[in-house]
Amino acid sequence: MKNRLTFARGMMNVFLWLVLIVMLLPFLWLILSSFRPNMDLFSEPFGIPDTLNFNNYVAVLESHPMFLYLFNTFFVTIIAIVVDVAFAVGASYGLMRHFRGKGMVAFVLSIGLFIPTNAFLVPYYIMINKMGLYDQLMGIALVYAGVNLPITVMVVRGYMATLPTEVVESAQIDGANSLQTLVRIVLPISVPGLVTACVFVFIHCWNELLFANILNQSDSSRTLQVAIRSFLTTFEANYAYAFAAMVLAILPTIVVYALLTNQIISGMTAGAVKG
Amino acid sequence: MQKRKQQDHAFLYTLPALVLTIAFFLIPLVYLITVSLFKWNGLGPMEFVGFGNYDYIFNHRNFHKAFRVTMTWLTSAMVLHIPFGLVLSLMLSRQPRGWKFLRVMYFIPNVISTTAVAFMWYFIYHADMGLLNALLRAVGLEQWTNTWLGNTRTALFCNQVPFILYVGLTCIIFLTQISTISPDLYEAAEMDGADGLRKDWFITLPLLKPAILTNVMLNGAFCLRAFEYPFLMTSGGPSNSTTNLALYIYREMMSANRYGVSMAAGLVTIVLGVILMSSVTLLQKERS
Repeated sequence: MKNRLTFARGMMNVFLWLVLIVMLLPFLWLILSSFRPNMDLFSEPFGIPDTLNFNNYVAVLESHPMFLYLFNTFFVTIIAIVVDVAFAVGASYGLMRHFRGKGMVAFVLSIGLFIPTNAFLVPYYIMINKMGLYDQLMGIALVYAGVNLPITVMVVRGYMATLPTEVVESAQIDGANSLQTLVRIVLPISVPGLVTACVFVFIHCWNELLFANILNQSDSSRTLQVAIRSFLTTFEANYAYAFAAMVLAILPTIVVYALLTNQIISGMTAGAVKG
Repeated sequence: MQKRKQQDHAFLYTLPALVLTIAFFLIPLVYLITVSLFKWNGLGPMEFVGFGNYDYIFNHRNFHKAFRVTMTWLTSAMVLHIPFGLVLSLMLSRQPRGWKFLRVMYFIPNVISTTAVAFMWYFIYHADMGLLNALLRAVGLEQWTNTWLGNTRTALFCNQVPFILYVGLTCIIFLTQISTISPDLYEAAEMDGADGLRKDWFITLPLLKPAILTNVMLNGAFCLRAFEYPFLMTSGGPSNSTTNLALYIYREMMSANRYGVSMAAGLVTIVLGVILMSSVTLLQKERS
């Protein structure tokens, strides 16, 4: 009996580590390949590079403004996070209290959760054009803020709903006005929920391709994702360059994740599941 | 009077979010429905065609195909992705050695862009230099090598493999819910002689319903939006076998310049989304 259990546990461990290898081996292969000359990739796809050769990286950075793309992605992501979190905090705080039409407001704010936003390709394209924001970072950032608002409201509101209402009420009895209550009492204890919301919006915006693609024309508003997409066509003949470009594009998120692992995992833990 | 003023304050806090929602959801929805009733190339005059665009897509073979492909995506989420994440989280919840490390590592693909992942898998499936064919040759299964993305029989599933495999977020949502289950329940079950699998089945699984619904919602929404994988890995081919609704909408607008047709397909996607999310919401209410 005991032996059988130990055996089952052993098999389970093997399985879990096997899954890890299958998940991450492709990324390792990608990184290794990015250091090898293009010719070698075809003759021997599996090979390990014998020297650390940065030629591919140098070639990519010389031919494309990668740092500009990086900045652009960063810019639209930050704007979307700031707008979404600020608006979601306001909405969640307002909805913690009673006012006429509250049900209606809550309903309207949840509508977005039901809609796959890629269906809005034409409306967003026309709207952003009419606003004169086509091919501008602000146009992309605005669409990102709009698209991600519903999930942000859901996460922040879900978290704030778990806060004890007495805290808010006692603050008001002490004479704090509603803004003071929000800033001094509610916000500090809502941080885990806000972190979760930020992570959701960050991951989504950093990685978004569809809208960034249709709203962009020139380098000045090109995001990383649109850029690496174009590598597939421009680097057709040289996959090694494309590999290097991809590693450059995914490096920042890996670094952020490595630095914030605990906050991200515990943030997800705090807000992703309600009730 | 005092109370009334406070009430108005509460409403004011919700105003910015309300305005943004109206601008990015309600107005676009009305606009989408309007455009879907017109024949329009995006530049010239709009010609009213009534339900002509709907007539077109409902009789268009490629649209039927795209609808089926999107359904296949949803199915793979429900029967492969979510159960796989569930199994991994049940295993991790037994806290084997290194489980925290595994949990952190499983999540890595979720922070990497779908664009890069799609691009990477394109090369994995590459017929000449791809990792997959090289692996098969290395272990002597030469006859199994394939032009994975160029074959109508394998292209769609190959498109979905990265989605099915990268279950980090799904897994963490399950793990979170598992961690809220009271240990007393398990102890009581142990006294009754239940082994690990029985505890999973009779205690953990029923209590995981909220997490299951959250995952159905998140992954269902992802599948309806799934654009990067077919767009980058196969461009919807071969012979449209991987074109889903998201790519169909994009193509009709950007390549065919049929804005009306594109938005008619858009409304179909929205209806699917509303059906999916309403079911989840109803089931969520049911439990409480």
